[in-house]
Amino acid sequence: MPPLLIIIFAVELVVQLVNTIGATTINNLIWGILLSFPSALSTEFSVQRKKQAEYLKVRNELKATSSQDEFAKWAKLRRQHDKLLEDLEKQKASLDATRAKFDRSLTTVRLICTKGLQWFLPFWYSREPMFWLPHGWFPYYVEWFVSFPRAPMGSVSIVMWQAACSNFITLVFTMLVAIYGLAVAGRQDKQAVPVAAAAGKQGSKAKNSGKEEL
Amino acid sequence: MSSAVINNDNPDAMEPTLQSILDQKSLRWIFVGGKGGVGKTTTSCSLAIQLAKVRRSVLLISTDPAHNLSDAFSQKFGKDARLVNGFDNLSAMEIDPNGSIQDLLAGQGEGEGAGGTADIGGMGGMMQDLAFAIPGIDEAMSFAEVLKQVKSLSYETIIFDTAPTGHTLRFLQFPSVLEKALSKVSQLSNQYGPLLNGFMGSNGTLPNGQNLNEMMEKLESLRETISEVNTQFKDEQLTTFVCVCIPEFLSLYETERMIQELSKYGIDTHSIVVNQLLFPKSGSDCEQCTARRRMQKKYLSQIEELYDDEFNVVKMPLLVEEVRGKEKLEEFSKMLITPFVPPSAN
Repeated sequence: MPPLLIIIFAVELVVQLVNTIGATTINNLIWGILLSFPSALSTEFSVQRKKQAEYLKVRNELKATSSQDEFAKWAKLRRQHDKLLEDLEKQKASLDATRAKFDRSLTTVRLICTKGLQWFLPFWYSREPMFWLPHGWFPYYVEWFVSFPRAPMGSVSIVMWQAACSNFITLVFTMLVAIYGLAVAGRQDKQAVPVAAAAGKQGSKAKNSGKEEL
Repeated sequence: MSSAVINNDNPDAMEPTLQSILDQKSLRWIFVGGKGGVGKTTTSCSLAIQLAKVRRSVLLISTDPAHNLSDAFSQKFGKDARLVNGFDNLSAMEIDPNGSIQDLLAGQGEGEGAGGTADIGGMGGMMQDLAFAIPGIDEAMSFAEVLKQVKSLSYETIIFDTAPTGHTLRFLQFPSVLEKALSKVSQLSNQYGPLLNGFMGSNGTLPNGQNLNEMMEKLESLRETISEVNTQFKDEQLTTFVCVCIPEFLSLYETERMIQELSKYGIDTHSIVVNQLLFPKSGSDCEQCTARRRMQKKYLSQIEELYDDEFNVVKMPLLVEEVRGKEKLEEFSKMLITPFVPPSAN
């Protein structure tokens, strides 16, 4: 088992990643990966998609057929249409249920792996020192504070370590996001220059026309 | 008879008559339905006349609030089965779906309120409101009533001349709805009955003198009747539906819709009567007639394309006179059995 130090850091990292990317996106991603493997579920989905395409085709055909001039053809299409629609709805309901179940279990696992560990580890290892501070480097109240709440005096407690990791990761993430944002904005600025000029021209034209109208 | 057997062996060629219905001796309930004004009553009367020739006893019931049996046979019919003049095994009756629930409730009130407590809109009023709130209950109640009567009368075949399409379908889908509602009510009463009875005193009487348990028993028996009716109507050995239409778009549309709905409810249907076909004499210079004939031909060909392999499509001509009275109906009914040959075929 890797040292507790690393585990705490990893948990904080995962939490931060989930927060940044978004739980729904992750769920969708995993769902997509799951469906890309050949399984009963993915075949069911491809069948559903095929049926949907067929349904759309029948519907278009139905719309293109005059019910008054070609009643027999229209009625046959209508029967097909109704049957397909019923099938599709039934299937969709069952697939939706599968998806909801999947989402639910995934959410449960995610919560246990993040929030659960975040609470459980500090509770369980509250007396464990993460690492020891060099003796005599820090005044008493600093030592007391970093060993809060229950780690031995002169060591860093798990809660403090967790807080430090979390803050550090947040800082790094904020920085990365900011850098990325700046880079994207810079690229867009370069591309946007001609557009902006054109828009300016149009604007002036509009102003001119406005004047003319006045 | 023999030709019918041959045709049954070869499903690709459904004969263009209602002979199969006459031959299917197990049939007990026959419904005749379609859009308003297409000739349901004429068709059901004709079918009844033909059936009377091959069955021991036939009852013709009209559930259409606008009763036409009296008109068709030129004889007054009422709520009780009455022999049709000139027949000894064909009876007819007209029931009013709306009237019968009123009668039923009124009868119940009288029967139970005999103890001296008048129905002053207490629990009795509430039950009435509740009963009326269930969609289509009036028709179902009337059907249940009729079926009770009919069972005791032991007719071999019963023909229903139903009300126009929407009405019929509402009733047909409905026994299952009512069954669900009633089973919920009985369940509730089983759970809370003791509690309510505790409130209402030792003998469990409601404010208007009705007994809760008794009322629930009544509901329960109604539910049983209706579920029995439901299973009978879904048995293709016992029940069939004859669709009547005219070769026009809306009628055809309604017929198609009805056939789909019927198959959804699991009610057998394999006959379509196409009524009011025009056959103008050759050389006739009636502009409207020929134009209409052209239109009818168009829809007729569509009907043949759509239904010919699964249905007995019977073609009936539009006559120049009203089909009323026993003789004319008999004449008309022959065309249900032997296909009509247009006079100006050459």
